[in-house]
Parts: sequence; C-alpha cells; structure tokens
Amino acid sequence: MRLARYVGYRLLLAVPVILGIVVLNFFLIHLAPGDAASVLAGESGAATPEYMALLRHKFGLDQPMSTQFFVYLLNMAHLDLGYSFRNDSPVAALILDRLWPTALLMLTAFASALVIGTGLGLVAATGRNSWRDNVISLVSLVAYATPGFWLGLMMIVVFAIRLEWLPTSGFDTVGAYNEGWAEVVDVARHLVMPAVALALFYLALYARVMRASVLEQTGMDYVTTARAKGQTERRVMTGHVLRNALLPIVTMAGVQAGNLIGGSIVVETVFGWPGIGTLAFNALQSRDLNLLLGIFFVSACLVVLINLVVDLVYVTLDPRIEI
Amino acid sequence: MRAGFSRFARNRLALVGAGLLLCLVLLVVLSPLLYPGDPFRLAGPALRPPGGAFLLGTDTLGRDVAAEVAYGARTSLLIGIGATLGAIVFGVIVGGLAGFYRGAVEVALMRLTEFFQTIPAFILAILIVAILSPSVTNEVIAIAAVSWPGIARLVRGEFVALGGREFVLACSGLGAGDARIIFRHLLPNCLSQIIAVGSLLIGTSILIEAGLAFLGLGDPNVMSWGLIISAGRAVLRSAWWICTFPGIAILLTVLGINLTGDGLNEALNPRLRDR
Amino acid sequence: MPFNISRRLALALPLGLTAFAEARAATEPKRGGTMVMIVHPEPSTLAHYSVSAGNIPPIATQVYEGLVTYDWDLNPQPNLAKSWEIAPDGKTITFRLQDGVTFHNGQKFTSADVQYSFMEILKKYHPTAPVVLAELTAVETPDPLTAILHLANPAPYIMKALAGRDLPIMCKSVFEGTDVLNNPTANKPIGTGPFKFGQWERGEYVRLDRNDKYWKPGLPYLNRIVARFIPDAATRSAAMETGEAHFAGYSAVNYADLARMKSNPILGETTKGYEMTPALSVLELNGKHPHLDKKEVRQAIAYAIDRQFIVDNVMYGYGLPATGPLSRLFKTAGLYTDDVRKFDVPDRLDIANKLLDGAGAPRGEGGIRFGLHLEINSFGEQWLRQGEYLKQALGQVGIEVTLRSEDTATWLRRVYTDYDYDINEPFLSQGVDPVIGLNKQYLTSQIRKGVTFVNDSFYANPEVDSLLAAGMREQDPVKRGDIYKKVQQILAEDCPLIWLVDVQYVSIFNNKLHDHTTGPLGTQQAFERAWMES
Repeated sequence: MRLARYVGYRLLLAVPVILGIVVLNFFLIHLAPGDAASVLAGESGAATPEYMALLRHKFGLDQPMSTQFFVYLLNMAHLDLGYSFRNDSPVAALILDRLWPTALLMLTAFASALVIGTGLGLVAATGRNSWRDNVISLVSLVAYATPGFWLGLMMIVVFAIRLEWLPTSGFDTVGAYNEGWAEVVDVARHLVMPAVALALFYLALYARVMRASVLEQTGMDYVTTARAKGQTERRVMTGHVLRNALLPIVTMAGVQAGNLIGGSIVVETVFGWPGIGTLAFNALQSRDLNLLLGIFFVSACLVVLINLVVDLVYVTLDPRIEI
Repeated sequence: MRAGFSRFARNRLALVGAGLLLCLVLLVVLSPLLYPGDPFRLAGPALRPPGGAFLLGTDTLGRDVAAEVAYGARTSLLIGIGATLGAIVFGVIVGGLAGFYRGAVEVALMRLTEFFQTIPAFILAILIVAILSPSVTNEVIAIAAVSWPGIARLVRGEFVALGGREFVLACSGLGAGDARIIFRHLLPNCLSQIIAVGSLLIGTSILIEAGLAFLGLGDPNVMSWGLIISAGRAVLRSAWWICTFPGIAILLTVLGINLTGDGLNEALNPRLRDR
Repeated sequence: MPFNISRRLALALPLGLTAFAEARAATEPKRGGTMVMIVHPEPSTLAHYSVSAGNIPPIATQVYEGLVTYDWDLNPQPNLAKSWEIAPDGKTITFRLQDGVTFHNGQKFTSADVQYSFMEILKKYHPTAPVVLAELTAVETPDPLTAILHLANPAPYIMKALAGRDLPIMCKSVFEGTDVLNNPTANKPIGTGPFKFGQWERGEYVRLDRNDKYWKPGLPYLNRIVARFIPDAATRSAAMETGEAHFAGYSAVNYADLARMKSNPILGETTKGYEMTPALSVLELNGKHPHLDKKEVRQAIAYAIDRQFIVDNVMYGYGLPATGPLSRLFKTAGLYTDDVRKFDVPDRLDIANKLLDGAGAPRGEGGIRFGLHLEINSFGEQWLRQGEYLKQALGQVGIEVTLRSEDTATWLRRVYTDYDYDINEPFLSQGVDPVIGLNKQYLTSQIRKGVTFVNDSFYANPEVDSLLAAGMREQDPVKRGDIYKKVQQILAEDCPLIWLVDVQYVSIFNNKLHDHTTGPLGTQQAFERAWMES
C-alpha cells in the first residue's frame, strides 16, 4: 500500500517535470534553421512560389510562433502528438510503428549486455590482476573503444557476404510472409548482428562498472567483518558483496535510459533496422518538428518511468533506503 | 600523490595505455615534420593500396591516408579533450552549486540536468550541430552539452556526501567563506573521481565525433578520423585501407585513454587502494 | 550452403550451355515471382501528384500511369491514350483514350479523369507541372473517351512530359470534394497501373501487388514488387550481392561499388533507361559577390576546374565532363550543342590566372587572391568529396575556399532564402525539355527569394530572357534548335553557373530478372513486362 502511494506520488511529481520538458523542447527544436517546406521542395527539385506557400500553409508554418506554440500545447493537453505533414500520417502512428522493432533491438542488446557484462565483471573482480582479469579487462576495453558502425560494416562483410550465414539488413525477409515459428526464426536471424554491434559497447561498460564496483565493495569494513566471522568466500560474495555491487549497475542502466531511443541511430542506419533512432534523425533532418517533438516526448516519459523503476529496484536491493 | 604514481607504475595495463597515449602525442607533434603541408592535398593517384610511396595508401581523391591519419589525431584529441573539459567545467559548476547550497537551487539545477538527460544524447548532439552549423568548436560544444549531466550528478552526490563530514562542518564553524570551503576542501576531495570519469569521457567524445562525422556532420575543413572513415565508407569493400587505419587509430586511442584512466582511477581512488 | 554450391556449379558449366540457357530464358517470359528493388532514400510520401522527389516515381509509376509512354527515340507511344493529333496552330491536342480501363478501386477511366488530373490537381498542386502546363487553359471532354487540351500558345514540350512520371492520371472521384493535399490516398495510391498498392511498412518496404484486372492483356508478369529501403550504402550493395534484392536503379547503389559488382556473376549493369532523366552537377555563383559579379572571375573559376578529375574520382567514371548548360541527352531532340566556349583546354590554368590578374584580383600574401565559401550539397556524401577537390583546384589559382557542410534545411535556407553564400554546388535535374531546366535557372523572372533551385545567381540578361521565351513557343524543331544553340553560347560566355558533370545514372540488376529496362524512362516507368527466372 505504501508502495502504491509512493508510486502515485512520484508520477504526480513527474507531471510538472514533463510539462516543463515539453515547453523547453518546443523552443529548443525551433532554434534549428530552415523549415520542412523548403526541404520537401528541395527534394522535389524546383518549385513555384505558389507551391511553397501552399506547403507552408498546409504545415501551419505561416502561423506566428505563438499560435504554433498554443496549438502544440492544446494538442499535448489532449495527449495528441499531432500530425506529421511530411509523412502524411499522425505522429503517434509513426512512433507506434517503430516501437516494437526498437524495443526488440534495445531490450535484446541491453539484457544480454547486462547479464553477460555483470557476469564478466564479477569474474574479473574475483581474480583481480590474474590473467582472466587482464583478458576480460582488455577485451572489454577493446569492445568499448570500437566504433559501432565500423564493427557493423565489418560484420556484414564477414557474416552476410563471405559466409552467407545471416541476412545483410532489415527486420525480416520481405515478401516471405512467414508465420508462427518461421517468422520468429526469421526475425531472430535479422536481429543477431545489430544486437551484437550494439550490445558489445554496453557489455564492455557493465563489465567495467561491475568489476570496479565489486572491488570497491570487497574493500569495505563489513566484508572484512564477515570474513573475520569465518564466512565462506562464496557466502560473502552472494550474501553481501553482490547485492551492493549491483547498485552502480542499476544507476548506470537508469542513466542510459535516455539512450534507449537515440543510442542506436548509427547501428540502425548500418543495418536498415526500422527503429525510432533513424526516425528521429530523419525527422530532424527534414525539420518534421511535430514528429521530433513527439519522439522527444515519448523519450522523456520513458526516462521518467525508468528512473522510477530504478529507484524501486534500489529499494529492494538496499534495505537501508526507505521510501 | 607519489604513492599514487608508484601504484600506477606497477599497473602493467595502465602503462600500456600510457605508452599508446605517448605514441599519439608524438604523432601529433611530429605530423607537420613527417607530412609537411595540407593533409587535404591531392598527393598522388587515387585508391593506391598501402605500400611504396604511400605507407597507408591513398584515398578516393588521391590524398595520402597516412598524412590524413596523422593530422586527424590532432583533431580527435582536440575535440576529445575540449569537450571533456567543457563538460567538467559546466558539470562541476552545476553539480557543485546544487550540492553545496541544496534547497531550491538544487531542485532547479537538478531539473535542468534531468531535462538534458531525457533527450536522447546522440540526437541532442546532432540537433545542436544542426543549430550551430558544423565546425570543430560547435562539435566540442555539442559533445560537451550531452556529457555534462553525468559529471553534474557525480559532483552533486560527492558534495552532498562530503558536506556532512566533520571537517567541512568545522570549517564553516570557523567562519570560512563558501568559496574557500568549495575550492579548498570539497573539490579536492572529489578530484580523483572527476579525473577517472573525465578520462573515460575523452574516449567517449572521440567516438561521438566519429559517429557525427559518419552521419556527415563533421567540420569539412579540418581533417579528422571520422571524416576519413565517412569518406572511405563508400569504398570499404574495394579499398579497405581507407576505413581500416583511422578505425584502428580510434580504437587504439580510446583504448589508451581508457587504460590510463583505469590506472589513474585505481591509483587515486582511496576506496580502491588498500587490498 | 546449397546456394553457394549451385552458384559455383553454374560457373563451372560449359560456356555453350549457359549461353543456350540464357537465350532460351530471355525469350520466354514467365508468370509469377516477387521482385525486390532498392529505392533510396525512403520516400516521405507517395503523393506523386503533389511531390516530385526522385525517389517517389520508382514506386508511384507502378500504380499511376500517364497518357503515353516513350520509345527509345523518345517518341510518344500509346498508353492510356490510344492516339492523338496536334492542330496545325499547335494550340489544341486531341487524345483518344483506351476503352475498358479501370482504376484499382473499380471506377472506369474516362476523359473526366484526365480533365480533373490536369486542371484540378497537377496545375494547382504539383511543384513542376505548372511550368509544363502553363499554357493549358482548359481540357474539353466531348465524350468519355476523348480529351482535348486547349493551349493559349503552342507548347511543343508538353508532348515530352506525358508519361506517368511527369503527368500522372488520378481518379477524379477519389479527389473530388476533398482537400487534395490531405487526401487519404496520398500514401495508398489508386491508379490504373499494372500493380496495386499493397502495404507500406515505414522504414522497411512498400509492397505492390499484381493488378489482376490490368487492361493490357496478360500483363504484368510479376506477382509482386517490393521496394526496400536500406539507409546505408554499403549494406545496399551487400543486399544486391547476396541476391536479397534484384534491382537497384537511379544510382541507389554507390558508384564506388559498381566495379566490384560488375565482376559478380549473378549481377548485371546498365546505363540505359535514363535517356529522359538528364541532370548536371553545377556550381552556382552568387552574382552579388564583389568578385563573382565579374564575368572574367567566373570564367577563371570555370577554367580552374578539371572536370575529368571529378568524373573519374568523385563519380567513379560514370558521367562526362559537362560542356555547357544543357545535358548531352538533348542531342536526340537536336537542342544540344558543344559549339560554345570550351573550358577544358590544356593551358586552362594559365588562362585562369591571367583572367584573375586582369579582373583586379591580384595574388596577395601567400599567393591568395581572395577567399570564398563553398556550400556543400547535403544530398549525399559524394558532394563533400567534390567540395574537397574544388577547394584544392581553386587554391591552385589563388582562390582560398572554405567549405561549409550543413544539413538540408539549413543549407537550402542559407542559399535560396538568405542568399548568404558565395558558391553553391547543387545537382540539377533538367526535366524532359530545356523549358524546365533552363528557364528556372536563367530567366530574370526566376530570381525568387525563398524558392529552392531557381535563379539564385542573380543572372539577368534580356537577350537570354527573350530567346528562352521564343524557345517555348517555337514549333519548328530546326528553328528551335538554333534558338537554344544561341542560348548555350551566351550562357557559356557569361558563366552565371559553372557546369561540372553530365551525370550518368546506373541500374544494377540480378541476372534472374529480365525485361526490367524497356524504355527511356527505365526505373521511372511500370515494370509491366519484367519477369523473374525461378
């Protein structure tokens, strides 16, 4: 009950924060020079002045900024993300379309990075300065230092073209119309390379953080006390160290929540993955401001939510913290 | 500090990192001597494989890839260090003020920090470059703008934790001014943490710069590794050397920085010391 | 990997056998199959009637058809129109329409659709059609199968622009009474073409399904066309090489990869199908700049550039050095001439230096005469390469160039609205007739603030204005050729623009795909005869 009240309180608190974000976003985005009409006309080759005027009117760009702002606020008040005139489609539909591929890619990459990364970090820390520590540290540092797009390009050359094990790009085989299990396998085959390209970076990060965190915890007084009491090394690890060492990992995961949406632009570009990152990039490039604002709004909501979850995880991991 | 240095010197991986960085600095210093003139100069026939007159081959326009990589080191380091310094200065100011004064100041500044963290970092960097137009300075600003919130949170946390310590309370009891407490007592105590995180940020900044250049948002007048890769990407399959060498350069640089940063962290962080 | 083995086996087959197999295969079209084509970049909309971006037609022309198509000599051939006649005074064109054609929604195609498409949609909402249809005053529909175009003045170029790419025919009942720009079929097009719109998964593909009720008996052969969108150039090439995609037109595959792909036994290459898609890469010079306002300085810049170098190193050999303001593709119509001032001469650097010395721009400190900014075209990575070369080339004659590379919106605003530029490097499609390409670029009346890709070099020459006006009306092909020859000579002398490369597009195709390029519009016309070997 207390938990429910706390969650409710936090969500209530989030409303003014998100409102502020919505307003700030609007003005930040409108600082970008140029407009959607000129981009569209530019792509069309030449255009007549009448055509440009027509487009600006259609997009609402002929309205004063105050009116545009007011319309935007009014829409947001109804939780209406507006209309993308460039794409001839409601913003919400465009974002929803990309949500599933994005979630699939990011969660796969994130979850595997989290599990494997913390595991490797633990292994490294328990054998500090041994060969396995050095190997894990070095490998994770190399992974951390490798540009994701570069790795992606190299993987396509090796696994898609030379070995023909995996498809080059996309979300599933177009025109194959697989169903059931076949579709799952098909999507999974497309998922492997982008997920690996993304996960390696995070995996390295978590391994590093976990290693440092475990080392820090094992230096604490309570561990010495526990050891002195004659508890086994295994019991010390699982009972005391691990629990506390996970806290920075949780913090780190929370900080990266904002990257869930934008962090994969480059990898999405290389693998032609229909994610929100490239949608946002294209929206920015073409000054599709409604769409970009919509993505920023969804991203803000997600970050606020994930921060809440992180705090709740904290509570379960660390009994000293009270809500 | 001396003890820290000897601890660092005993860490083999850290020494490897420092060695890599030394090579990089040498490259930056020596590049005008090794490759005098403009690295954009069309030095010979296009798409020459490595070897002969061109150690690392030539690119699509016939420029010397070795000269490009040598000059690119300068830009990458400049952007990496510049953006990191910017992020640290801004992050320390915001985090420090919030952590020291607490109350309304803290709430306002931390909301600002959160705002920057709700926008996907890479998209924010692209947006800032789009608003300001691509140049080295503006890339530094953009990368700093997405990196500072981490530092701000760190500094605030440390300040809050240190603020309650006896020695700080004693200082203020003795009538020391705010500035004195901040600069003489609080900042030095979280310096090691800032150095450790900052050194990693340099590497991350170099990677972000490469990503921006990959998407065509780099400064076209200044040679950088990202620029070479984005130019060589089109011919990756037929002229592997154009992408590969700057890619390896980035990898080694970031690796060197991170190894050194780790070494510094272990050497300076009091909580990691005695084991 | 059975696929791999069979590919090697095919290679090992005796030459005669494969040749036989090809000969047999090429003559017998087969029904069925899905063709995957790469379109790049992904279109933002399929509203072919109100947006003319080059990535829309490869999809839209499968659905929307035009009154005619064109043969390899660029002569009109029957399509939705069975026949036509042009009145001697050139002011009326009468089209007899095909009977028994239906739209994908079941509506019968009649002259009312032609009338509505031309007068109510294209003339009002299309970015470039108003230029072609400027003289069109009314479309008369005496009966359902006759449409008569009434023109205020003769407009010979209309007969070059009647394909589905340029003047598509839409269904009147779908648009009537609605807001055309917000029509629900913008992204679900309804036309008369051989393929019906199926589905658009944004960021992935557009699916087009066979129109079983297509009015041309037995066509199309393919069951389905999928247009795939892959943002990364290297990955696009990879998709062709692995056989995942069968066709990449309009240079969707990077020029740099073509040499390697040509040696791939499963792929073929053609430069055919772009005879009606002339395009030049150029430099626009700001005529208000204190140095660029002098003809001699502009000519010197033209001399300083090695066009063949750009062709070889930026376009990877696809294209030819441009000689003047018109593409060589207008040779077929007798409108192109290379009898103009020539800039690709052996002593061009000396000439350039002398011109600059004489124009009051002597070399100063470090051999630099003056500095200029070059705005990088944002539509592709090759333009940055071109800019990097130009910086070196102009540096040779003492002009110090600084590159500026901004995103599309900022770039277009800086150049075409703020005029805050010195040199701009756009890529100009020239349309099917000089009326489209030359008028917008060189007419004094086309100096229009805020409009993209028009006369932003402030070029104003009354002689050119009157010649271009005469060229619009002249019906006699020989006289028309003389008019445009004169225009080209004057422009090459004045150099309001610097013409760099006469662009050559390329299509890459899988050898299993046949009859994909059947006319001069290539990728931008329906794949009604294309078929796949199984």
